[in-house]
Amino acid sequence: MRDTFLFLCAETALDTQKLSKLIFRPATSAWIWFLERLSLSAFADARAIPSGTTFETDIAIVGAGAAGITLALSLARKSLRVLLLESGGGAFDSRTQALYAGTQTGVPYLKLSASRMRFLGGSTNHWGGWSRPLDVSDFEARPWLAHSGWPFPRSEIEPYFPHAQAWIEAGPLVYDNDKSWFDTFGAPLSLGGGGVYTSFFQFSKMRGSVLPTNFGERYAADLKHEPNLSMLLRANVTNIALAHDAQSVDHLKVATLSGRNFTVRPKYTVLATGGIENARMLLASNDVMPQGIGNGNDLVGRFFADHAIPRDTATLVLFDGNLASYYQNNQTDKDGTIFRAALAPTEAFKREHQILGSLATIENSVQLDDLGKAAVATTASSLNVDASNAKMLSVGCGFELSPDPDRRLMLTRERDALGMPRLQLHMTLADSDYQSYRATLKELGRQLLESRIGMIRLDRATRDEWLSVMDWGNHHMGTTRMSADPKAGVVDPNSQVFGVGNLYVAGSSIFPTYGASNPTMNLVALTLRLANHLKGLFA
Amino acid sequence: MSLKETIARRPLLAILGGAVGLGVLGGGIYEARLLGGHSRHHGYADLLSQLNDPDAANRVGGRVLDEAEVFEPQVVAHELRRRLKGRELAAVLADDASQGRIVETGGWVLPETLALLCGLAAKTG
Repeated sequence: MRDTFLFLCAETALDTQKLSKLIFRPATSAWIWFLERLSLSAFADARAIPSGTTFETDIAIVGAGAAGITLALSLARKSLRVLLLESGGGAFDSRTQALYAGTQTGVPYLKLSASRMRFLGGSTNHWGGWSRPLDVSDFEARPWLAHSGWPFPRSEIEPYFPHAQAWIEAGPLVYDNDKSWFDTFGAPLSLGGGGVYTSFFQFSKMRGSVLPTNFGERYAADLKHEPNLSMLLRANVTNIALAHDAQSVDHLKVATLSGRNFTVRPKYTVLATGGIENARMLLASNDVMPQGIGNGNDLVGRFFADHAIPRDTATLVLFDGNLASYYQNNQTDKDGTIFRAALAPTEAFKREHQILGSLATIENSVQLDDLGKAAVATTASSLNVDASNAKMLSVGCGFELSPDPDRRLMLTRERDALGMPRLQLHMTLADSDYQSYRATLKELGRQLLESRIGMIRLDRATRDEWLSVMDWGNHHMGTTRMSADPKAGVVDPNSQVFGVGNLYVAGSSIFPTYGASNPTMNLVALTLRLANHLKGLFA
Repeated sequence: MSLKETIARRPLLAILGGAVGLGVLGGGIYEARLLGGHSRHHGYADLLSQLNDPDAANRVGGRVLDEAEVFEPQVVAHELRRRLKGRELAAVLADDASQGRIVETGGWVLPETLALLCGLAAKTG
């Protein structure tokens, strides 16, 4: 066993001394000897854990992505014993990644194995760093939008935004509140008092001008050195075993692709495996509850959502050609904050006109066809505006989907390499969702005309047209939705799975309504809120 | 009620109320035929002279007519004269935008008055 263990130590960092404190059985002297003497400043590799071992811990966190790492460090710093279980290793591995594979029906969508990264850091290994708080209206129950609304207002998580901002390293919490950017980089478009306004993204810190904060790399040292935190790589939770009364988690079954099987017996468990795997884990753990854990109302896996990102949805013309640089490209202010503008519907416009959230970005220069040239010429001249220096630009966007219970994940009979059932995704996309975004673009066009600064062409009219340019945000949300009502949600307002007292879910799978903002900053804020709740349980 | 009466009573704002609404204008071509083909009316110089770029206006107007179901020049001209009386075109167009009187032509979001003027130019030019 020593040779195997040392080999694994060499291949991946190993945290053994901390892990030894969690061992419950078997406590063989040889095993303890190795665990206690090998390097502290490392992660442990589950392939070195003898089958039959049982770990006991205060809190087991499944998944070491943005949510899992944030939660693990937040709790461990409060003297709770935390075991963080990550399916992957320290780098991409195709065999591990293949555990994500599934099938799809409905509207064409990204492969289930495409959007995510199954190794330390999770999907922050390839995220774009785009960040923006959800809007106030995103939390509201909208009478015209079925299944909408959070169980609390945005003010509930606002105190966590500055901390989330620090975790993702996106600079101070500024967004729409720093007018100094206008002094330095130019004034925003004069859109008057209409339904569309200039809003701002901030960006997670770029490293070497390439990647934003990768939680795995950025927080590896913290994870290693936190004495109360143990990290197991290549540890796949394959089953959440409930107690006989089905009201609590008894233990987690953990397996490795190398064939090891062991057990974790936590006081509390938090699933943080992303918007798809969280649901899969609950659905697949169906030995005590045949319909799956937390699925008494057939909600787990339903309401899957992403942000639709159709390309080239409009052509924006600015008569005088003037456009502040932050509209087209990321800019960095004197404090190092990276930001970029988007065009968003105002809260009032969304409420009054029953509009879903969207964030339109101004992209590339484009050429006009003859009709376009004529439209610009006659419009500008009729408005008594000089358009000889007009600038024409394409408009992209990300827009919110309406909650749809039929857009869902389901287990299939096919099994992955660990014996877990694979998923099938049924994807839907309502034409009304696109038309909602289109109405926002039209309002933008109206405002440009009113201000006599430009005009817009809506480039995609029919469903076939906009579906042909559809891309996706890779933002998996909604499959374990939060609600105050057990009949309408999978987790309660504290993120606890209804009916299972020591099982929680973290991440964007708990979003009951989605907004248009990128989820990472928001899910980190929610995770910090969950950390506070869990600390309270041990206080 | 005759077709002509129907057209005459149809509010222009409704006719030009949106992308699909513009399609209503095209019907005027049919109506013009029905009414004896008197659509090529040359008494609109006071309106068309407000267009600074006639060629561009004609091209846009051609698309307006393509997408319209009904376009009755006399009715349109009457409405345009009402809107433009004593006012500059630019101010009327900005006012259109302010009041939400916008339409789509070939995807372009235009002030309704401009779309009507362009349509009139293409129809009668």
